[in-house]
Amino acid sequence: MVAKTHEQWLANPPLASGEWIDSRIYSDQGIFEEELDKIFKHTWIPVCHESELAKPYDFRTTSIAREPIIVTRGPDNVVRAFLNVCPHRGMLIERRPSGSFMEAQPSGNPKRMTCMFHAWQFDMKGNCVYISREKEGFQDRLTKEDVGLRRLRCEVKFGGFVWVNLDDNPVASLEDWAADAFGALRKTLDAEPLEVFHYHKAIVSTNYKLWHDTNCEFYHDFMHYHNRVTGFNDAYFARKNEAFNHGHIQVGTFEVNYDQYEGFESRAGLSFPHLPPNQWYMVDLFPGMNFNLRGSALRCDIVTPIGPNKVMIEFRGLGLKKDTPEERETRINHHNSIWGPFGRNLHEDLIGVTGQGSTTLPGSESRRVLHGRHENQTIHDENGMRHYYEEWSRWMNRMASDPSKPFTAERHVEVAAAE
Amino acid sequence: MNTEKTIEALSYLSAPRGGISMAQNGADMAAKVRDTIYRATIMLDDQRWDDWLNLCHDDFHYAIKSFSPEINKDMTYLQGKRKDIANLIRLLPKHNTDHSPLRRHTSVYTVDLADDGRSATAVSSFVVYQNLLDGINSHIDSGESRLFLVGKYYDTFSVEDDGPKFLKREVRIDERRLDKGSHWPI
Repeated sequence: MVAKTHEQWLANPPLASGEWIDSRIYSDQGIFEEELDKIFKHTWIPVCHESELAKPYDFRTTSIAREPIIVTRGPDNVVRAFLNVCPHRGMLIERRPSGSFMEAQPSGNPKRMTCMFHAWQFDMKGNCVYISREKEGFQDRLTKEDVGLRRLRCEVKFGGFVWVNLDDNPVASLEDWAADAFGALRKTLDAEPLEVFHYHKAIVSTNYKLWHDTNCEFYHDFMHYHNRVTGFNDAYFARKNEAFNHGHIQVGTFEVNYDQYEGFESRAGLSFPHLPPNQWYMVDLFPGMNFNLRGSALRCDIVTPIGPNKVMIEFRGLGLKKDTPEERETRINHHNSIWGPFGRNLHEDLIGVTGQGSTTLPGSESRRVLHGRHENQTIHDENGMRHYYEEWSRWMNRMASDPSKPFTAERHVEVAAAE
Repeated sequence: MNTEKTIEALSYLSAPRGGISMAQNGADMAAKVRDTIYRATIMLDDQRWDDWLNLCHDDFHYAIKSFSPEINKDMTYLQGKRKDIANLIRLLPKHNTDHSPLRRHTSVYTVDLADDGRSATAVSSFVVYQNLLDGINSHIDSGESRLFLVGKYYDTFSVEDDGPKFLKREVRIDERRLDKGSHWPI
């Protein structure tokens, strides 16, 4: 049978439970709102890199699950995160994406976070240090001690990324959350300070999980001419796709033949510390963060879900802080030739997920999306996605294969073996 | 003293009787520079990549740059010499690319000719629209144009006997949000 009737089209595929998901988890507004509440407000999210706030009083703003966040570096050099919300009347305290509080603002003093609306001021630890006409208005009923900022769990870790958790009591410390998944790369990422050299963002019509899927599965390398000519060999097909606790995966490395793409060059001369030449590692963290190291340049994707069919992806490129200008320029070329907004692969990846997004618009018919490839947990095995969706089902208490049903553990042989 | 003079200013100088002045020569060359920029726009719009590269010097260098206030860095999104860009263009058929053509609206703001007449610089603004073919759902989106990029071209020309050739083009875009991006030179 080739083409199918409607009933046949909607039927479950001849695969085991857990080897497909129901597309409603990409398109349903109610499920999306639940994801923000149940997942994104309780998991560790890398919001930026410490090099983006290099000096005391530098700041960076961001958001998680619609909650505005400000990250600051204090005079003690400690990076802290707060809700970017004034406790007075809910004004956004800082409106710019980045900057320095060393400069005075029209409503406030240097070295303070100032809410422009009524000139309340806060120090870099989130303490309220000034309320305009405090005694006249509040007498002794409310004081500065009563109105500090909402501090957030914040750590700088795994290569200098700034991680924030909106939950004061997360299910795991950041170390326990991600250390295993970063295992093979940790020595490399922590060998010396890194620095961001690239930033751009994409807001595309697709579900955030579909972007993460693209980062988790390499079967789509058939879409990338670059990856086919530089990669498809026995070592490539032997790369391991390994699952870790909390829904994370790591894709093992091999030596990429960059010079097989006409005009490109080997990256051996600028390998990250402790790496053999031209290696390619990938770490994918639940619920949607990616760390992608191709020999001489590190890429990090951070997703910010905006709606069931809309996601912002922030792309960063990083090199070593000690790079000479010539080394940095070469790293930038290596990064952008594949991963930049005008690079060869990223455009193709984004076309792929927006194509999926166009078939999973809110209100569209529910379909089965297959994750059933088994190849001994190697590069084209889809165990990484199966592992992710099992974790997703657990956090949501919904089966990814039928989100109307509560989660039941149906672990698969290959995932259990990987763990 | 500034080694370059604005050709617009020079063109106001009167020509001596019986001959063509230096200023007139300069004005002619400024017009040729403008013409070359506009021809490049049409060739890029029409995806006549080889014709575009034929407007470029052998030592041509191309770069797309943007400043990011987010990370406080000046960034290079794409760069290469003529042979690098030629390679990218030659390999385009191997890649999966959004089919929606890009259309540029270019306005040449200034053209400055070096005193020796052998080089020139020009600043132009551009707006790039994406005329949707694919879109998200081509049934709905095709036929619509959407703003894709705005920015400026900073061009340097080598002035040859047969006219100006692009020696360097710096495409400086305002955006850091680029959504699907592009495989094509801007």
